Amino acid sequence: MQIMAFTTAAALFGIGLYGVISQRDMIKICIGLSIMESALVLVLVAVAFRAGAEAPILTPDAVRYVDPLPHALSLTAIVIGAGVISLALGLTVMVQRRFGTTNLRAVLSRIQ
Amino acid sequence: MTRRNVFALLIALTGAGGLFAVLIVYGGTGEALPALAATFLERSIADSAAVNVVSTVLLDYRAFDTLGEATVIFASVTGVSALFVRAHLIPQSRGAGILVERAIGYLAAFFWLFPVYIVLFGHLSPGGGFQGGVALAVLIILLNVVYGTERGASILTTHRLHLFEDAGALAFLLIGTVGIIQGSAFLANLAAGFPGGVPGRLLSSGAIPLLNLAIGIKVASGLATIFYEFLASWDKAGARWKP
Amino acid sequence: MTAYEFAFLFLLVLLVVAALAAVLVRGYITSIIVLSVFSVLMAVVFAFLQAVDVAMAEAVIGAGFMTAIFVGAIAKTRRSS
Repeated sequence: MQIMAFTTAAALFGIGLYGVISQRDMIKICIGLSIMESALVLVLVAVAFRAGAEAPILTPDAVRYVDPLPHALSLTAIVIGAGVISLALGLTVMVQRRFGTTNLRAVLSRIQ
Repeated sequence: MTRRNVFALLIALTGAGGLFAVLIVYGGTGEALPALAATFLERSIADSAAVNVVSTVLLDYRAFDTLGEATVIFASVTGVSALFVRAHLIPQSRGAGILVERAIGYLAAFFWLFPVYIVLFGHLSPGGGFQGGVALAVLIILLNVVYGTERGASILTTHRLHLFEDAGALAFLLIGTVGIIQGSAFLANLAAGFPGGVPGRLLSSGAIPLLNLAIGIKVASGLATIFYEFLASWDKAGARWKP
Repeated sequence: MTAYEFAFLFLLVLLVVAALAAVLVRGYITSIIVLSVFSVLMAVVFAFLQAVDVAMAEAVIGAGFMTAIFVGAIAKTRRSS
């Protein structure tokens, strides 16, 4: 199960990276960034996983638990990712207001 | 397919392959937990009397990390507010229609219950300040969408949301300072004299429910502020924004 | 392969398809809706991996908050252009 999750995480990271590089629209780039961030959270959660172990909520009859530390780290990563994406979208809105477009190529040609 | 797309595909394949190789080599499928995680799981009850080990790690062992995370949210709210400083919210009375308004009106009490439950039971079950806070922000967004921003923004103005956010951050810092006053470390929990209680009860595990509440209020008001900023617009007569 | 693992594999395939659709689809609103579906699927995957706290955060943020913010940004950038 861990190997399957690792493979998916790598594939999702590649898809997000492809979106960030190939798209020219800033909102599409934000979508790619969001997918990359989710892929890395999946990596953290998959590293914490142990086959047959329980979620880290202590119960009397459970013996083995998954690693709780990466869960705390990935919670932090998710919330910070939301902050970063909203700031990027705010910048996108400002670029649209200043240049009339969110297409990066048009914006760059306007600057030069 | 253009040259640019081929280039992007190559880079993406390289990135995905590199990540996959690193994960296969260093990802580790070791059966035993790392020593640190085993210690956390063993001592969670003794150290902070919390059943949910993730919340113990988040708000006791690594609480300073959480303070940094709250600071990042604060920075992002400040950044978005600074970007939209010239814009202001034009309230709209138009909602989603009478059927949706009445239906949501009957359900709203249960909708309020859910985030509060997530925040208050953060040390016993999955959830905590962050999840409950974001759920509360989403609820505020939903009520604004359903009833129109005129009613929503007149009750929860941006000014009041900022006050709530500052109150949450200050409460977090004050709870942390209790540890220093009691002669222990900053953000110490049971060592600072907070009552541990019986593990598994609602009123237990010292400062963790208080910290959860502070973070919940802070995250909810911060994210709702971001949403209000995205709703604001520049009036037509306003000059073009110059950097 | 147990039924549990088979269900997990099916979810992962759906996840990759949703990510591909979110990146490659042309329309903006379609892309955002697919992204929120992606987030919900990701939350289910986290629950399969026994990370319940992370699953709750991902569901609430990805499917709730991010969708609202993206729709707000699209409404602002499309209106006056």
